[in-house]
Amino acid sequence: MKEILIKSNIWVGALALAIALPIFVVGSAWLLPGTDLWSHFAQTLLPELVSSTLILLIGVGIGVSVLGTVLAYLVVMVDFPGRAWLEWALFLPFAIPAYVLAFVYLGVFDYSGYVQVWLREYLGIPGFDIRSGHWAIILTFVLVFYPYVYMMARASFKRQKIQMIEAGKMLGAKPLRVFWRISVPLARPAIAAGLLVTLMETLADFGVVSLFNYSTFTTAIYSAWGDFRSIEVAAQLASLLVVVSFFLIYFERKARGKAKYYSSDVSNIKAYYAKGLTGWLIFLFVFGVFMLSFAMPLLQILIWSVEVFTLEWSDRYFDYFASSGILTISATALIVVIATILALPSRRKSESKTLQLLIRFSTLGYALPGSVMAVGLLYGVQNISLISIYFAGSSINHILFGSVALLLFAYVSRFMAIAYNSTSASSEQIKPVYGQSAKLLGASRLRLIQKVYLPMMMPGILAGGLLVAVDVMKELPATYLLRPFGWDTLAIRVFELSSEGLYERAAIPALIMVVFGAIIMLIFNKLDSEKY
Amino acid sequence: MLSVSNLSISFDESQVLEGFNLSVESGDIFALLGDSGSGKSSALRFIAGLENAMNGSVVLDGADLSLNGVHSVKPELREIGMVFQDYALFPHMTVFQNISFGIDHLSKKSKTEKVASLLELISLKGIEKKYPHQLSGGEQQRVSLARALANSPKLLLLDEPFSSLDKSHRDELVKDVRSILKKQSVTSILVTHDEAEAKAFADKIGKIEKKQLFIN
Ligand SMILES: Nc1ncnc2c1ncn2[C@@H]1O[C@H](COP(=O)(O)OP(=O)(O)OP(=O)(O)O)[C@@H](O)[C@H]1O
Ligand SMILES: [Mg+2]
Repeated sequence: MKEILIKSNIWVGALALAIALPIFVVGSAWLLPGTDLWSHFAQTLLPELVSSTLILLIGVGIGVSVLGTVLAYLVVMVDFPGRAWLEWALFLPFAIPAYVLAFVYLGVFDYSGYVQVWLREYLGIPGFDIRSGHWAIILTFVLVFYPYVYMMARASFKRQKIQMIEAGKMLGAKPLRVFWRISVPLARPAIAAGLLVTLMETLADFGVVSLFNYSTFTTAIYSAWGDFRSIEVAAQLASLLVVVSFFLIYFERKARGKAKYYSSDVSNIKAYYAKGLTGWLIFLFVFGVFMLSFAMPLLQILIWSVEVFTLEWSDRYFDYFASSGILTISATALIVVIATILALPSRRKSESKTLQLLIRFSTLGYALPGSVMAVGLLYGVQNISLISIYFAGSSINHILFGSVALLLFAYVSRFMAIAYNSTSASSEQIKPVYGQSAKLLGASRLRLIQKVYLPMMMPGILAGGLLVAVDVMKELPATYLLRPFGWDTLAIRVFELSSEGLYERAAIPALIMVVFGAIIMLIFNKLDSEKY
Repeated sequence: MLSVSNLSISFDESQVLEGFNLSVESGDIFALLGDSGSGKSSALRFIAGLENAMNGSVVLDGADLSLNGVHSVKPELREIGMVFQDYALFPHMTVFQNISFGIDHLSKKSKTEKVASLLELISLKGIEKKYPHQLSGGEQQRVSLARALANSPKLLLLDEPFSSLDKSHRDELVKDVRSILKKQSVTSILVTHDEAEAKAFADKIGKIEKKQLFIN
């Protein structure tokens, strides 16, 4: 028994280490001698970078926490008109890539967009630059990323026993007090997990910040690499990002605290009934968020797509679609299987501190911009290749460069955190007694995993797989750098067109991705509502 | 026959049990009393192979399960059943799936028969398709008992199985479960706080005091 665990721990540790490889490669940049360029960066740009990144993180963090939690609470605990369909409709913004929402909003609200033209012509209000300041970009991020918090908080609220809420009510607590004193504290771990994902995504984002001309670590990394051709400075900056992520993860762990809220009962009883005006006001609020974050942007890209359809559409779209599909499905399957192995509760008690640390490392890739991940991998491969020339006399560059395997590796490193957060959250819900009673009933390790752990983790596994699938489909920079010849995806096409300012034409591949993503969300919703 | 000898358990420097000895004749029901924190659950979990100890041996029907603090047989191979305080029914499985979990290797037909007869034994016929959350606390407790009995364990461990039920239900269930266990002549150990419950349920009673067991 012990030996099996130790052996499997070694395997799991090796797996986690392999996934974390790009991080270590990036970190190793500090071993290189310091350059003038770095001191230039550190003195002139770093302070501003730190403050603007911090403002962005704080603004987005507060925004998504409040919006995601409030929406989740309303949808789970309150009965109001339209609740049932809004509950799943609020997931749909997952299907919209952040850079798509950004270009749609810019297209609409920019100097030459409908809104400003109308304001100028009819109200005489002078034009303004929505790119300046922090508000517009923070709002954009909040509208794309709130579903992460919404999703986690909703699952957690659903698990809260109605009796607890009722006990609060019997003690005379008003709805708001019940929300603050009972529901939110119990959901805190889930909210923190959603917030963590959001902040990591924000740190790694390139599309939105560059469209808004907002400087963050990511843009500095691109500039170090693209403008100054210094892979070392890029890697050094990237490793600072890794440190920031480590702090975020630490704070998330703290927010979770020691308490583990085991509960597997899901009730569908509503705690509150909002009738009349209150009900409709709540509806308006939730519906408004749905319109702003999904329906209106979708409508806009639909209009643009129709306008330019004959110009942009061609048979090549079948290839883009196939590439996106194959990469998404294979990467998702791979990531979900690994995340499940890493999160299985059977190992939890026995695992060592080192293993826990390795698993944490394996999820850090989420904060690395996709391009840095790619550079790290290429850099690593180059060194491996040098070693192979030394020992075997032949280069293995041609096998690794431009291969689908390398791209899949990048996806696994990059998106492990999403799947792992979700699978481990569901595995932590499994009380140890379930494993113990299964063992006493004679179940082997394999059977315990198959019959007890996997089914109980399934909601988390599905949720993780869904998020990963949508994210892989949307992924841009790593795909761009690592894709084998002939593997252009829909995201690449959006990028090619929008980087030339052809927003209307970029709407076509964007629309396909959004529809595709929306279908994944619908499947998820179907699976989600079937059991429990 | 079960015999536990020289069991010593400690957590973080603090000794919970020291030189604990216990033997239970085949078919007997033994009740283990003791204050909260005296190590009742720990002893039970060691017998089940779920907890480690500094020292202690377990022999069940002539087979060495643990020797000098080392478990030589895994929990899943001990043929020991356990009923937990909060039942631990698998929430994603029906009553049928829960009860048949330990006998899944049997044919569909014999499983169905076995589950039906167990449900009859616990006086809950026809609830095979229900999920645990659709049952009352007492019903869940009976199902959890049926699950533990399904693969005819050599020893049944019950860790405060009645403590979350109200008094009137409890007295009834204590009697019922005793008669079920007697009918099947299963060797059993019940852990409880309640002396009256111990008297009503068991053939023999022991109490943990000063890290050791004293038989009344
Ligand atoms: N996993 C553990 N780690 C540390 N200490 C533990 C652990 N399990 C039990 N203990 C400690 O060992 C002592 C005995 O615990 P045990 O659960 O066996 O008591 P008990 O007699 O069953 O109590 P109760 O009647 O309250 O259930 C307690 O002081 C408890 O705090
Ligand atoms: Mg106890």
